Amino acid sequence: MLYRTAGQFKTSYAKDQALFPIKQDAFLLGVILVFAWVIFPLTASEFTFQTLLIPILIYSLTAMGLNILTGYAGQLSLGTAAFMGVGAYACYKMITIMPWMNPIVAILLSGVFSAGVGVAFGIPSLRIKGFYLAIATLAAQFFLVWLFEKWAWLYNYNASGAIQVPNLEMFGVYVAGPQASSVVQYYVVLFIVCLLTMVCINLTRGTLGRTWKATRDMDIAAELIGINLMKSKLTAFAVSSYIVGVSGALFVFMWRGAAEPNLFDIPLSFRILFIAIIGGLGSIMGNYLGAILIVGLPVVLNLLPNALGIPIDSATVEHLNIMIVGSLIVFFLIVEPHGLAQLWRLIREKLIIWPFPH
Amino acid sequence: MKHFTKLAIAAVVAGITAGSAIAQELYAPNLAYRTGPFAATGIPLMNGQADYLAMLNARDGGVGGVPVNAEECETGYSTEKGVECYEKTKDRSIVTQPWSTGITLQVLPKTNIDMIPILAPGYGFSPMMDGKTFQWAFNAPAGYWDAADMIIQFIEGQGDLNGKKVAFLHLDHPFGKEPLPVLEAAAEAKGFELVPIPVGLKEMQNQSAQWLQIRRERPDYVVMWGWGAMNAGAITEAVKTKFPMENMIGVWWSGHDADLAIVGDKGKGYKSISWSFPNADAPVMADIQKHVIDAGKSQTNDAEMSGVFYGRGIIISAILAEGIASAQAHFGTGEINAEQLRWGLENINMTEERINELGLNGMVAPFSTSCGNHTGHSGGWMLEWDGAKFVKVSDHLMPNVDSYAELANAKAAEYAEANAPWPVNEDCGG
Repeated sequence: MLYRTAGQFKTSYAKDQALFPIKQDAFLLGVILVFAWVIFPLTASEFTFQTLLIPILIYSLTAMGLNILTGYAGQLSLGTAAFMGVGAYACYKMITIMPWMNPIVAILLSGVFSAGVGVAFGIPSLRIKGFYLAIATLAAQFFLVWLFEKWAWLYNYNASGAIQVPNLEMFGVYVAGPQASSVVQYYVVLFIVCLLTMVCINLTRGTLGRTWKATRDMDIAAELIGINLMKSKLTAFAVSSYIVGVSGALFVFMWRGAAEPNLFDIPLSFRILFIAIIGGLGSIMGNYLGAILIVGLPVVLNLLPNALGIPIDSATVEHLNIMIVGSLIVFFLIVEPHGLAQLWRLIREKLIIWPFPH
Repeated sequence: MKHFTKLAIAAVVAGITAGSAIAQELYAPNLAYRTGPFAATGIPLMNGQADYLAMLNARDGGVGGVPVNAEECETGYSTEKGVECYEKTKDRSIVTQPWSTGITLQVLPKTNIDMIPILAPGYGFSPMMDGKTFQWAFNAPAGYWDAADMIIQFIEGQGDLNGKKVAFLHLDHPFGKEPLPVLEAAAEAKGFELVPIPVGLKEMQNQSAQWLQIRRERPDYVVMWGWGAMNAGAITEAVKTKFPMENMIGVWWSGHDADLAIVGDKGKGYKSISWSFPNADAPVMADIQKHVIDAGKSQTNDAEMSGVFYGRGIIISAILAEGIASAQAHFGTGEINAEQLRWGLENINMTEERINELGLNGMVAPFSTSCGNHTGHSGGWMLEWDGAKFVKVSDHLMPNVDSYAELANAKAAEYAEANAPWPVNEDCGG
């Protein structure tokens, strides 16, 4: 009905290969983009920016980085948070050594450092796979967090051992630090997230994405048809760590404002892995859906009792919240083991052929 | 279905009445942590805080006749949740009580913009005592550097420190590293050897490596800066390795009754410096019993009420109430705002008479704050575990603030520079 594709004819290859061959998809995306770029910034409160919009975008980006590695190239990683940390610390060092640097350039460059570290820790993937590789990336997790704690140069010898974001200006407007307004930070995050999402969509559709998928599905077969496994795996580690590193820099500079080393510990890695799995491995949109469920839903649930005027203890709300979110995760995974993205894919499929069932 | 409709109607009605009933009140939210890994220490503190304010509301109708709304926002000690709570409450709140070092770190730089005072009694960043730089932050009645100085004084009182060895067992976290500058300076001045032994966040419950090191080093004293599960871990290890308990001294957050109750008699002699003392005979306890506990408005229990942490929660709320009261008196209005509360917290004068008047006899030492001094430096007492409870074993100790005032100013200036543009209160003399 809404998704009727009848009458949409492709008359050239270019049209058939377009990002959104179906008009309704492009229209839907347009609506979402208008909301993200115009309507939310105009209507959102400080609270919405700081607890919903900005964190959901940043977590989606991190999950997307992990999804490239785990969902597309099939290399399980448990070190995501540590790679985020590399990006955040690299950005902090760059900004404090070169205060004149443009913050957005610094954020985008900080991914290069995490990409380097990611490739180094990705080398074992040439020999080991699956759970064994997960253990190797776990080593990265422990080693890097230890390094953030012990290498005092990284946090400029601060007595507290934490990094604190200074006030950073760009074209006369504060974009980071306590002086920056939430709207500005939101736009910076949105710009970088949109940019990297576009890069990711195109990468995963192109040659590189196809080699990754071939490696994921069966690496021996991929090697037999002439795919260089080393190149495929290491590029996946590099691209994934780059995105994760950028999101780590955003995480600290555009949202948290300060970070202690143990912020980048394993619970954060797991959280991102959950977002990627629940959203759907091997999908770009799934990361956003997963982040909305895992990051956004608890915040909204916390607000509910108060909005409805139900007098209930804050601690009880927290306990209820954990139970509700937990059971929702189980529910969604039972309904659709391949994640929310697959759920949406099925709904869309059904809408296209509606009213005729299979 | 009928039942559900009824419920829905009730909820809507409640919402409307709650919305229309915005009477005069002082909104002082607390970023509580009754869940998560630190809940065991959080619950008695939160209960003490909530019960004192509930008692004021029931007995006097609040502070200066305006009820205090001490709503809790649950953080579970997580920084992310803490920021969520801060954003949720900051529009209306007159004070922020962040409760964790991580949340304090996040909120501190924003105070100059949001203009809400932070009340962090006995925790947070020690240089916050410099009220000229940290206009909006208060850690009255004592900071960590006060604690370090008082512990050294106490040890010195037992004999010359020259040539002695002091192990500093601390959480490897901003909180644990806080007293290091003062302890290092003291070690140099007094000629004792300081051995810092960090405990990682993952090793809190299993400190066998650290205690092996302590056994090898044979220190004369162990000074502990622990929190949460680390305290119980260290105390049980100390008992296991037969370390003389009387030579083990903790900071005030390492003096939780429940941690010591695990080892009972074997923990006899363990000490903890404290700026608060649980005096069960203080008039305030009777009032809380009458107005809050007997009225069924509290979540606490008898065992908890006699503990150190519950008493500390009461003092924390008392400091807040005193700040509110002094602001109300100065500005001549009941419903003060955040900026007026800042003035109030800067002008607390807790004299001995005032403490007794509030019914807090012997629970806190006299102190006063000023615009240049946001800590007040009340000093404290050395408490000792007698096998069943903590008792006072020292006279009132006073920190030697002059010895680290310079350091505090330097650190505060460093902070201001790193966070430029950072407005400094130039009207302030001290």
